[in-house]
Amino acid sequence: MSHNLSHHPDNVMLVEFSAGTLPTAESICVSAHLHFCEQCRTELLRLDQVGSQLLTEAEPAEIDESLFDTVMAKIDSAEASPKLATAEKVQSFPHSVSKLIKNPQHQPIWKRLSASVDIARFKTGQSEFEVALHRICAGGKTPKHDHSGVEYTVVLKGSFSDERSVYKEGDFLVRQPGDVHQPMGAQNGECICLSALQAPIKLSNPLGFLMKPLLRINPM
Amino acid sequence: MLRKTIDIVDKNSQPAGRVAVLNTSEKRSDEWSLLLISVGAERDRQAFAQLFKHFAPLLKSFAQANRHQGWFPGLGEDLVQEVMIKVWQKAAGYNPEKASATTWIYTVARNCRIDMLRRKSNTQHLPLENEDYWHEPDEDTPVSLLRQKRSETKVQDSLSQLPKEQDEILRKVYLEGKSHAEASEELGLPLGTVKSRVRLALQKMQILVSPEYQDELSHES
Repeated sequence: MSHNLSHHPDNVMLVEFSAGTLPTAESICVSAHLHFCEQCRTELLRLDQVGSQLLTEAEPAEIDESLFDTVMAKIDSAEASPKLATAEKVQSFPHSVSKLIKNPQHQPIWKRLSASVDIARFKTGQSEFEVALHRICAGGKTPKHDHSGVEYTVVLKGSFSDERSVYKEGDFLVRQPGDVHQPMGAQNGECICLSALQAPIKLSNPLGFLMKPLLRINPM
Repeated sequence: MLRKTIDIVDKNSQPAGRVAVLNTSEKRSDEWSLLLISVGAERDRQAFAQLFKHFAPLLKSFAQANRHQGWFPGLGEDLVQEVMIKVWQKAAGYNPEKASATTWIYTVARNCRIDMLRRKSNTQHLPLENEDYWHEPDEDTPVSLLRQKRSETKVQDSLSQLPKEQDEILRKVYLEGKSHAEASEELGLPLGTVKSRVRLALQKMQILVSPEYQDELSHES
């Protein structure tokens, strides 16, 4: 699990993740990468110390005397009520991804996208990105495509390659608008990736007409 | 009560020939961490009251500094309540080897704050809470307390000495809840400048562990 990864989120994303200002879709991808990447977990722990230090240096605000009692009363009443059973852990995917899979078996519901690619879309409560799992069969080729928005990809299982490199479990990739690529699944087994694909901004994007119906984006 | 033996041997960053003599009973002994451990192990209300007295005013101030979408006037006290209740409920899971109590409480506050703001500004059902993004894999690598403490000290010391131009961006991001892009707009600076200032600050605080930075670090020590 802690083999050296060569593709990581950049400093900006990690800082915003640590500060809690990174938007939902990007946070899901960073979170999935952290599951695999010890190096980024270490950096994050240190970034949290920055937040912690700034919290300590804050000018203390005035607190109403009664607030402590209010909190204790809430604590006591919460302890009196029965605890909810914790959901069964499904370890095949990083925690944040498993939680997005809503059925009781925690199995993604795949839909065919092309002969070699399946997709399982997630509801994430935001409307800028389509967040989904993609499954490429062994040796499967995806159609050559470009993007009108940013795309983040994290490899969760297996590996795939494109013109530039081979991407393995945990690798975090960013594709900028206009990048053209043709991912191909590894020969030795299927590959599952998490991706967040930015929905095109309507009418303002000259590349929009190039979108194939196949790659239509549905943020939800 | 500490659950695991503490790994005090720092394998990577101790230069050869300069091995420090270590106190083998090395533990986290700052006041807040000890109090938090008591709350977790013994449900110690006295200790909790002391934590409350220290952290509640800081947490309220932290919430009030926020200028993120969804901010509302009562956020300060709401956040204090929510965070302190979580501190009580989760204290047993606090791992002193990994972080100081202050850092641990910061992460609870950060997660609560973003959830409260998202709930306020979003009518859609949100399937994830912020703490879901922070789930540690079970087989988490053991951490070295010594190395943790060293990096904490480094961050503390160098944060206070950062040039104002770097410090102000970190404050905007961590306290006000701004993205780098928003910070660049407010400060009237190109995004590239904001990013490179943050990068310089991270290098000074020795936060980056990527192999490409290791050389720089060893030159300095």
